[in-house]
Amino acid sequence: MTDVIFKLLEALVGFSSGFLFGGVYIGLMIVLGVIPRMVQLIRLRRFVTYLISSLMLGVFTGTVFSFFDYHTNFTPFALVFWGFFHGIFNGMLAAALVEVLNVFPLLARRLHLERYMLMLLMAIVLGKIFGSLIQWLFLNEIIKQFIISS
Amino acid sequence: MTRVYVRMQKKVKAKYADELKLGDIAFIQAPEDIKQKFQKVSIHTVTKKDGEFIVIEGFLLLSILQKVFPDVEFELVGPTETIIQVESRKFKPSVVFVFVVWVVLFIGTAMSIMNFHYDVGMPEVHETIHYIFTGERTSQPLWIQIPYSIGLGIGMVLFLNHWFKKRINEEPSPLEIELFKYEQDIDEYIRHYENDLNDDRRHF
Repeated sequence: MTDVIFKLLEALVGFSSGFLFGGVYIGLMIVLGVIPRMVQLIRLRRFVTYLISSLMLGVFTGTVFSFFDYHTNFTPFALVFWGFFHGIFNGMLAAALVEVLNVFPLLARRLHLERYMLMLLMAIVLGKIFGSLIQWLFLNEIIKQFIISS
Repeated sequence: MTRVYVRMQKKVKAKYADELKLGDIAFIQAPEDIKQKFQKVSIHTVTKKDGEFIVIEGFLLLSILQKVFPDVEFELVGPTETIIQVESRKFKPSVVFVFVVWVVLFIGTAMSIMNFHYDVGMPEVHETIHYIFTGERTSQPLWIQIPYSIGLGIGMVLFLNHWFKKRINEEPSPLEIELFKYEQDIDEYIRHYENDLNDDRRHF
């Protein structure tokens, strides 16, 4: 009997934490402006509800991936598609964070760099690509070996 | 009695010791023959004491004009204050300076994206995804990671609507809106705090 009660309690904890995280996740996406920006960029206002369902399905799939030990035998080429879209999404997220921190208005006013804004913007874009690439190509391996050896 | 409409300009640039005339800081709607006369009225001469910003209230402007032309009725439309920005020696950023800032931003973002990746444990997630898709375990799932890195840049370009000078479409990007808002906030602050009428120790 107590066994069942504890299991139900566990389910309740799981459900409520999932409930909260789901809300927080969608809220974050909207507050950071990733979803509104996408909708506005490709003029998809009529399909907003479908986009939200894509988010929900995505979160669900991610949860399944992280909790179940299951695998298929695709070629690694399938991952190119996956990684590419993953990158676009994260890029928008990163750009949104730069926005929120208001680095650019400060650069423009304090350092009088209004004319060079686009060049500096490209520094940020290329910096992200470069940083990401050297991490995956070299750094990650070196750090892992360092952790194993110590 | 003639009626003259005065529309103040939002922001005007001036140099030290400039004599600002009504025509410099406002648009005037008046009969052609007397318009010239109005535009030549001296409103303010920039002095050292003024600092970088001067705010001229519509109320002050009207009182000056009324004194000079007692028989003309003035009506104020549009902005109620003009901000005058006194340009001291022009600050021209050199190429070296721009380059230094460029490098700072470049290295800064490169580091922050790496920190972000380790923060959220992305290497492990990539390895797991690689395993789920292909069934083999590897510590370097480059098939997902290189497209990811390229997509990262594309996503940022999409969000900010700019690839160097090229724009994706006509509408202002979030960056431009942010710059505009910041500018507006500063103007609002100046309008309040540099305005002698709002100063307790008013000196006019």
